[in-house]
Amino acid sequence: MTSLTRDPLLWILLVVLIAAVVAVMRARRTNMALRRTKKDLEAGLGEARGDVGELHAHIATLTTQHQHALADVRADAEAGTKAVLKSAMGTLQSLAEEQQVLLDSLLKKYGDTTEILADLMTVDHTGSQFGRRAKGISVLCGGWLGRRESVATVYDVARSAQGRIRDFSRVSVHSQVNVSLVGKAVEPVAVVLAELLDNATNYSAPGTPVEVNIQAVPTGVVFIVDDAGLGMDQETKDRAAALLSVDGPVDITGLGDPPRFGFAVCGMLAARYGFAVSVGSVSPYGGVRAVIRVPESLLAADVPAPAADAQDTTAPEAAPQRLAPVPVVGPTHVVGTTSGGLPKRRRRSGPVTVVPALDETAGQEGTPEPASEVTASRLGAFARGTQLGRTTNTTEGPDTK
Amino acid sequence: MTNPGEEAAVTSDFVRSYVITGGRTLPDSDDLALHTLVILAPDRTPPLGAGPEVMAIWKLCAGGYLSVAEVAGHLGLPVGVARLLLTDLFEQGHLLRRAEPPRAQNVDRATLEKVLNGLQSLIG
Repeated sequence: MTSLTRDPLLWILLVVLIAAVVAVMRARRTNMALRRTKKDLEAGLGEARGDVGELHAHIATLTTQHQHALADVRADAEAGTKAVLKSAMGTLQSLAEEQQVLLDSLLKKYGDTTEILADLMTVDHTGSQFGRRAKGISVLCGGWLGRRESVATVYDVARSAQGRIRDFSRVSVHSQVNVSLVGKAVEPVAVVLAELLDNATNYSAPGTPVEVNIQAVPTGVVFIVDDAGLGMDQETKDRAAALLSVDGPVDITGLGDPPRFGFAVCGMLAARYGFAVSVGSVSPYGGVRAVIRVPESLLAADVPAPAADAQDTTAPEAAPQRLAPVPVVGPTHVVGTTSGGLPKRRRRSGPVTVVPALDETAGQEGTPEPASEVTASRLGAFARGTQLGRTTNTTEGPDTK
Repeated sequence: MTNPGEEAAVTSDFVRSYVITGGRTLPDSDDLALHTLVILAPDRTPPLGAGPEVMAIWKLCAGGYLSVAEVAGHLGLPVGVARLLLTDLFEQGHLLRRAEPPRAQNVDRATLEKVLNGLQSLIG
């Protein structure tokens, strides 16, 4: 036994055993502490996760609110800008119109002075382009074009549109139909056609022709614009199609810098007045073909009067006073010869052809004409008679009588 | 300015005169003077593709002599523009024109006085 107690191995074993027990005890304690900490931490984590979720939801709400507010502010700003622009453009539109009316009278006033007339026409051309721009911006801002009282033939609509672009002499108009547009459609279609012609001339080589063909279709009339340019790439086509099919207000700030109003104006006017515009097909010359289709509802019902009559619709036109093509002094009137060798003529029974008939109704009512008027009319007849007598044989021309 | 939604009437000429001339140079005013008389040549048919203005001239000048100024007035066009259209028709042989009457010969004062006296005794 003693030997056993004396065995160092036993003591070493004992010490190791005690150390092990102590170590196990300590490990258990640490383990317990760690478990507790872990539990605490897990609880904290859950709480934190919940908070994060809440925060995310909050952020989402705030973002939506912010976006709404931003959209509202943008819309407000856009509406404000449009209101200001619309009013400013309205003023410019009236000024441009005033200038054109003034030029109309100036062109007639100086009509016989070739140099001045040519210069005035140049001014008129610039003014027309200016007016078109002002009208375009005004339309995009919700403004109006101005209303024409009278109908206009499709040919005149095309020519009016032609006059509103820079390179108008490259455009040729061919009309196979003789119909008119109703007054309210005249300006919108002319403005849209002018925008399409502007595009066609700008995106094709200088000097190449641009054609407008007007044809009747079962549903109305189409204006076909063909150019000989390079055509449009897919992106431009998509953009054009989007702008042309717009049915709400146009975001004017999104039109680029410099802004490209053309298609937006076309889409807006087409939607407002009920006609259709499309671009994107290929013209026979390889360029772009743009088409405006005007429905029957915008065509004037009656057969249009010829242009000359249409221009004078305000007052019934007095019949032109013409000099008769045949000399009014015929041989039948000669009844003899004077001693001086001059033909003797009988007094004419009716009024001289060149004298306009005097107020016939007044004559029938038997109102005596004032002596001075009678004298004046007789003298006038005398003067015209002598002039006629002197000039009957001076006809010149390729086919002289 | 107009009220919202209300359209102002537009009264300027719809087709501008430089489009009617096609941007061409205007003929000299001595070419067809204001008082030159024109008439449609007999047995002519209007040129193909004639615009409304040319057709209007055609109708106006078919009935008898009209002066250049009158044609312009009836068309509502500046004289220079009407002159260009008339010059075209003239060059194509569609129009005849009659020059202004020759100036009257000088008559001596005594004759004029006799005429005046005669007229006065006639009209009194």
